[in-house]
Amino acid sequence: MRSLSIVPAMLVLSGSLTFACCQWLIYSYAPTEATMGLTQKIFYIHLPLAWWALFSFFLVFVGSVSYLLKRAPGADRLCAAAAETGVLLSGLALVTGTLWARKAWGVWWTWDPRLTTTLIMWFIYAGYLVLRGLNPPPQRKSLVCAVVGIAAFLDVPLVFVSARIWRSIHPAVFAAKDGGLEPEMKLTALGCVVSFGLFWAGLLWLRKRQLDLRDRLDTLASAAQQQ
Amino acid sequence: MDTLVWVIITNAVVWIGLGAYLIFLALQQHNLAARLTQWEMLRHD
Repeated sequence: MRSLSIVPAMLVLSGSLTFACCQWLIYSYAPTEATMGLTQKIFYIHLPLAWWALFSFFLVFVGSVSYLLKRAPGADRLCAAAAETGVLLSGLALVTGTLWARKAWGVWWTWDPRLTTTLIMWFIYAGYLVLRGLNPPPQRKSLVCAVVGIAAFLDVPLVFVSARIWRSIHPAVFAAKDGGLEPEMKLTALGCVVSFGLFWAGLLWLRKRQLDLRDRLDTLASAAQQQ
Repeated sequence: MDTLVWVIITNAVVWIGLGAYLIFLALQQHNLAARLTQWEMLRHD
C-alpha cells in the first residue's frame, strides 16, 4: 500500500503536464472556428470541466447507493470527496461558460435550460456539502447524506439531456450527427478530457485519502476519550 | 477587450480555481500531519 502513496500526486502532476501539452493542440493544431474565432478555444477547457463534474456526481450517486446497501464508511467518504471535486469543477464550468457567453452571445447569463439546470445542480451539491459539514452523529449523517446524494442525482441526467430535449442556445456538439467539429477539434477535445481526467482522478484520490485518515484519527481520539 | 486576452483570462480563472483547491488540500494535509504527530507523541508518553 505504501508504494501507492505517490500515485495520486503523480496523477495530478501528469494531468497538469498533459494539459500544458494540450495547449499546443488547442492553439496550434485545432483549426480556429469560422464563426466564433478564438472564443471557441474556451470550449476545450469548459467541456472537460463539465464532463468530469457530471462524472463526480455520478460517483456520489454510486457511493450513496453502496453506502445504503453495505453501510461501508469508505463509500461515504468517497461521496464526500467526489461531491467536493464535482462542485469545484462544475463551478469552474459555470464561470468559463459565462466568460464564453459574454463573447459569443453578448450576455453574461441567460436562463437557458442547460445553464439553469447546471446552476440548480451546483446549488444542490453545494447544499449537500453544507449538510456534510454539519455535526450530527456520524452514522446518522452518513445515512442522511446517502439519501440526499441519491435524490440530488435526479438533476444530473437532466443537465446532460437538457440541450437535446428543450430548445436551447447552448451548443450540443457531440449530439449532432455530423458533430459540428473537425477531426482535429475532436482529437483536441479528447486530449483535454483525458488530461483533465488524470488531474481529476488525482484530486479525488488525494481527498479520499485525507478523509480516510481524518476518520481514523477521529475514531482513535474518541476511543481514547472513552478509556 | 481582445479575444485572445479573454481566452487567457478564462484559462487563468480555471488554474486559479484548481490551484486554490490544491492549496486547501495541502492545508488539510498539514493539519492531519500535525494531529498524527500529536497522537504519536501521546502514545509514546
